[in-house]
Amino acid sequence: MAGRPPRVTKTEAIVLRYRRLGDADRIVTLLTPHRGKVDVVAKGVLRARSKLAGHLEPGTRLEVVLAHGRSMDVVTQAQSVEAFATLRADLDRLSAAMYLLELADRLTVEHAESGAVYRLLHASLTRLARGDGQQIVTRTYELALLDATGFRPELVVCLQCGEAVDASRASWSPLEGGIYCAECAGRRPGVSPIDGTVLKVLRAYQSQPYEEAGRIRLSDELAARIESVMHTLMHAVAEREIRSASFVSAARRARVRGEAHEAEAEARAVEAVEAVEAAEE
Amino acid sequence: MSPIQRLVDAFHRLPGIGPKSAQRLAYHVLRAPVEEARDLAEALLHVKESIVLCARCQNVTDRSPCRICADTSRERTVICVVEEPLDVVAIDRTGGYRGLYHVLHGVVSPSDGIGPEDLKIEELLRRLRDVDTEVTEIIVATNPNLQGEATSMYLARLLRPLGLKVTRLARGLPAGADLEYADDVTLGRAMEYRQEV
Ligand SMILES: [Zn+2]
Repeated sequence: MAGRPPRVTKTEAIVLRYRRLGDADRIVTLLTPHRGKVDVVAKGVLRARSKLAGHLEPGTRLEVVLAHGRSMDVVTQAQSVEAFATLRADLDRLSAAMYLLELADRLTVEHAESGAVYRLLHASLTRLARGDGQQIVTRTYELALLDATGFRPELVVCLQCGEAVDASRASWSPLEGGIYCAECAGRRPGVSPIDGTVLKVLRAYQSQPYEEAGRIRLSDELAARIESVMHTLMHAVAEREIRSASFVSAARRARVRGEAHEAEAEARAVEAVEAVEAAEE
Repeated sequence: MSPIQRLVDAFHRLPGIGPKSAQRLAYHVLRAPVEEARDLAEALLHVKESIVLCARCQNVTDRSPCRICADTSRERTVICVVEEPLDVVAIDRTGGYRGLYHVLHGVVSPSDGIGPEDLKIEELLRRLRDVDTEVTEIIVATNPNLQGEATSMYLARLLRPLGLKVTRLARGLPAGADLEYADDVTLGRAMEYRQEV
């Protein structure tokens, strides 16, 4: 027995995603505090009577027992610890959570220590679930995730000359993940001016503790511009599109459209009432 | 590749057919009378050539509008929105629903690159904008998982402003389930949507 690895492991984990395997099984991607990201097989979860299925939804924090298989570990027990049920009651929160999970999946590798990313993901899901603003949670998560995975963007000094850059005169390179001063930016490819206010807010998010950063008030319009800069940066770092990002935007567009529609309906109702009143006079 | 191997491989690509079953099926065809083999081959081709999507509900059908959409005895005030054609079969089999359907052909699944624009949502909106529409309620019957819920909430966001009642299937414990093994979300909802006995 000496030196032989144990046949089962118990670990805490957060479910990042799953994909179908055959008729009734799934391959579930878990993020664990000590073993990094792992793919495991969950058998029979597509059957209505599965005892595992409800515990293995993306975004759930759970305790899981894994039996070591030849190619992949197999889930033998799963018990959710936190299901973050309130995330599923609101589309903006749910789409943001999907985006957090996809980023964690894209920026971690299998079987590598990832305690910092695990703690960050857990803290951010907790914040979303308790109703913190989706913008502040998502932006601070992105920046802290880049820190934890070695992709911290340079937002303060010029990538070329190392001098501090005035926010109103900075240029931005998403591919290099940093800013240039006006002199060094020159005609570099892929570098373009960045809105000074956007950069100031990102600097604050990067340098201040979460609670401080959360006090910054943003207009919807400014929040959308910051989001666009960060989506482009995350795309560049992950070297592929983060697909949940477009669902986050689609959900917001649907809300804006719905609100406009309701306002219009209300205005029509008011008009109708006024017309009746005018007729009565 | 030998003709037998080609057939084995073709069966193996079908859902739920492992390599052993694929071999058994292939050898069954090999031993069967030629008429049986021809019948199978023709049935396969015929289904691909004659099946279309219903212009109204987007279900797979051999004629458009499909039998359900054309059935004048069905309620026309309610549409049940499902992910896949097989879900229509499952719900209709219960006999408890007599309204119309709409098949999305998928579910919002960002990590697989499937967004709302890849589903038959525009087609649903078009049905609802039709001047002759009698629809007042939409029942969203997507699966009770994260993607199904994202899809149902997205639909609700689009449909509520149109003045429609949007409901979704009750969620709770499956028949034969054991409370002890239920997850928190399922158990919490079963409690929330409890009924008088
Ligand atoms: Zn039809």
